[in-house]
Order: sequence, then C-alpha cells, then structure tokens
Amino acid sequence: MSGASGTLSAPRTAMVGLSLPLIDHIWRVRGAVPIDPALSPEEAFARLDPLLRTPGTVLSTDGEALAYDKPNPSAQDKLATFTRGRLWIERAGSGAVLRFDLFSQALLMCFLAPLLFLGFAQAAVAINAWEASSPEAAEKAAKKDADKPKPVRKLNPVDEFLGAPAPEDPSKKKDEKKDKGRHSPDEGYYLAGFFALVYLAGRWLEPVLVRRRLRAALAGQPAT
Amino acid sequence: MAGVQVGKRIIGADAPVTVGWENIGRVEGGPIKQFVFTYFQPAMLLLAIGFWYYAPNWLAVASTAIAIRLGWTVLLLVLEWVNPRYSSWQLTWKEFATDAFYVALGMTFLRMVDSYVGDGAIIAAVQDAFDWDKFSWFTGLPLLVQAVLISMIFDFGQYWMHRAMHNWYPLWLTHAPHHYITQLNINKGAVGNPVELFLIGLGIGGFFDFLPRAFLLAGAIGMTVGIYQHINVRFNTPRWWRYIFNTTEHHSVHHSQDYEATRSNYSGTWIIWDRIFGTCVDGEAELLGMEGGRRMDIGETMVFPFREGWRSTKAALSRRLSGGAAVQPQLEPAE
Repeated sequence: MSGASGTLSAPRTAMVGLSLPLIDHIWRVRGAVPIDPALSPEEAFARLDPLLRTPGTVLSTDGEALAYDKPNPSAQDKLATFTRGRLWIERAGSGAVLRFDLFSQALLMCFLAPLLFLGFAQAAVAINAWEASSPEAAEKAAKKDADKPKPVRKLNPVDEFLGAPAPEDPSKKKDEKKDKGRHSPDEGYYLAGFFALVYLAGRWLEPVLVRRRLRAALAGQPAT
Repeated sequence: MAGVQVGKRIIGADAPVTVGWENIGRVEGGPIKQFVFTYFQPAMLLLAIGFWYYAPNWLAVASTAIAIRLGWTVLLLVLEWVNPRYSSWQLTWKEFATDAFYVALGMTFLRMVDSYVGDGAIIAAVQDAFDWDKFSWFTGLPLLVQAVLISMIFDFGQYWMHRAMHNWYPLWLTHAPHHYITQLNINKGAVGNPVELFLIGLGIGGFFDFLPRAFLLAGAIGMTVGIYQHINVRFNTPRWWRYIFNTTEHHSVHHSQDYEATRSNYSGTWIIWDRIFGTCVDGEAELLGMEGGRRMDIGETMVFPFREGWRSTKAALSRRLSGGAAVQPQLEPAE
C-alpha cells in the first residue's frame, strides 16, 4: 500500500521529510463522486463490491476507508489501471461524497517510457559513432566500393505487358546514399513522443472512466 | 467438457472452443455493414497488391511501406472499435499502451540487436563463407509469383519454427509468454519475449535474390492477410479466403485455454501449410490464455524463459544428483 497509505486528512508522503505535493499527480488520481445521502456506508460499499471483488483482489479496511490491492488484474478488470487504492465516504451537511485515492503503476511506467526510448535513440547514436571510429569501418567501406557492379534486372515479360515499372539500375543510387551508420535514432525519438502522448491520453481518460464506473456502481447500474 | 473430435484429437475438452465454420458467429447489422465486413479483407488485399505493383519506383520504397503500415494500423483499430468480435476483448488504455510498448521495443532495441545476430547477418555470413551466388533465376519470374513464393517460403519456415516451439521445451519457454495474452488485438502479435521474436523472425527466404518490388508485394500480402491473426473484428470471411489464408478465427483457436486446440493452426499467413501438415482446426474461441487466463505483465514476460529454464535445469540436476528421488513439479510444455 505504499502508493495509497496515509490518513484521510494527511496525504501520504513518499519518504519521510520529503513531500511530493505535485509530482505524485503523475501516478495518483484523487477525486470524489456524489452519493445518495440516504445510502449508509455499508450499502454504498456493498454496491462497489462487484467492481472491487475480482479474482486476485485483496480488500482491507483502513480506518473508515476501504483499501484494495490488485497485484495482477486481468485485462478486462474495470480497475486494471489502478492497482491499489482507498475509498471512503465523507459527509458534509446533508450531502455525502465517495472520495477515492488511487495509485497506477501503468501511468507511472507510461510516464517513464519516453526516457527509455530516448535512451535507445542515444544508444543508436553512440554505437554509430563508435563503429565509424573503429579501424574495421574504413576497411569495410573500401571493400564495399570494390564490390562488383550489380547487374540491371529485367522484368518478366508478363509484368512488362501488364505495365509494372521497370527496376532501377542499382549502381546509380550509390552516390546519393550517405553512410549514416547502422542504426537510426529517429524511431527512438518518435516513440518517446508517442508514449508522452499515450501518457497524457491515459492521465485524462482513466480518471474519467473511473469516475463514471464508480458513479454507475453507486447508482446500482451494471459497470460499463 | 466433452469436446469435439477433429481427426484423432479431442478439441475443447479443457476450455470452450467452437469447432466448424457452420458454428461460428456472423456479422450482425444491416446490409451495408454485412457487405463491408464480408469484402473488406479481399478488397484490401487487391488494393495493396495493385498499389505495390504499379507504384512508380520513387514511391515503391520501404519508407512508404512504413507510412502505409501506420495508417493501416489506425484503420484496423477503428474497425475493432466499430465491429468487435468479442466485447471481452475490447482494447483498454492499459492494454493499448502495453501492446504499443512491445511494438516499440521491436522497432528500436530488437532491431538494433537483430542487425548483429538476425537472419540477415547469418545469411550474409553464410554467403560470404561459401561465396555462393544467390538464386538469381528467381528474379526472372513474374512479380506476383516471386511475391507469393517469398511469402510462402517465409511462412513455411515460421510454421516449423512455431510448431517446434510448441513441441520442444527450451523453445517453448521462449514462446510461452505470448500465450499468456487473454485477448486478440492488432498489436498483440508483438507481445512476447524478445528471444522468441528473434527466433520467429529467422527466415530462409533471404537466400533468394528478388526484385525489391516483389519483396514489397510479399510484405503487402503479410500486411493484409497475416495481420488478421490478432484482431478483434468480426468478419464474414469468404470461404476461399479461410481455406488458404490464416484468419483471426483460426488463431483464436490456437490461443485458446484448451491444450489440444493450441497445438493447431501454427502458420502465420498461409493456413494451407496447416492443412498440408495436418494441424488445421477450423473454428474459433473466446476464452484465451494460460493458467486460467492469468495476465503476464511486461517484467515477467522479459524474464520468464530464463527463470523457468533455470528452475527446470536446477530441478533436473537435483533429480539426477539425488538418484531420481526428489521429483519437483515443473512447468509443462503446454503447447
């Protein structure tokens, strides 16, 4: 429960003496959904039961809050993204809300994924530089130039009749191509950007869905 | 569960599997939807072949193929959303992000490693060592014949590698993580341990010399046929198509929780290989995975073959050293 411990009034701190008031928004989702004030806490939690009680989920009480832990949720588990969390009911005047504080390893990993792919891109650059500087590289380049010219291929008459474009002379292109090295870092850069977008989409979408599911469960509707 | 007899085997004794084309689900909806999801697959195959056959040389390059592949993936994701085969296979954000991670790993890290130890490097080394000329007669064949041969030869290699993975424990250890997927979506083909992805990528087609256009045409066949093995879309696949090509129905049988069912439909693109070698089961399944559908996370997928290999080796050694007395349970080479 490292991601969701602490008390109702005092939020959890990751390390003693270190407060993370903003940074934990990366992997934590907090919020509230209104509930029918006529509903007792027992009844409200009973309605949330189908959402929480899936195979492998460990439920426990933490003061007045209900804590859950899903070490390895199935793909279709409605709370698969949020593997740990706490839920409790707060009453204010005549109304009441269900508050939630959820932890998502998936969001955290997705947030960190761009770093991994930037790392791969940098590795590609470093390996290219290292290979270009090695004495073997010059030898190989010389060998490449000494290769016998490739013959110009011809299409089969059937393809000529059907109008397929003829193959190019393979020896022509050689001068245009610059030796940029064995690996391209571009994919790593693109994918770092891609995972940043996936993270933002997930950080927006998953809280919306969790709110919707909690609201539906509290209203007694089947989970969507 | 009683199961159904297919040849000498009982399919569906452990977990539900639908056997026989007459029993599988159909597209539900109006005539336009029926039409679209009946002819989508053949139409896209013809379109892809037509494009790569006639595209001018400046356009018929690998970067065009990558761009098309990207757009194609987005289109198929939309189809999964519009007409899913099973709602229990619906793509969630977490599943999408996880699948994308494996695809991304393949495009970066694995590609880098593959350039040193992959089939391209091996074939180059063999050819250098023996100074063989490539099979140059191959380039004189009509383009489509070359493309179909490249695709079928590559798939033939994949068929036997895949079948070996299901029958030889060390290879099975590398392939097992892929069988822990519990639903089919278009990027699920990339989910698995990197060692397996390297092994399955080994092909013998590289020994042949071919025209670049034929290779792009073969890629187009893979992209518009093989891609459907992992897709959550309900199609009314034409009979002739499912007779020669692999389909999502075939592949869902292969991924079923039923042990016997998983020992079928090994090919990637050409199910005809399974028909020839007696491993084809026509049907479909919804309940997929291993160990009752336990999801395997990315971390475990990466270490699984090594961890289980170490455990099995240790158990075997302790059995031998203690004279066969200590029998420890070990993971079965399930499929």
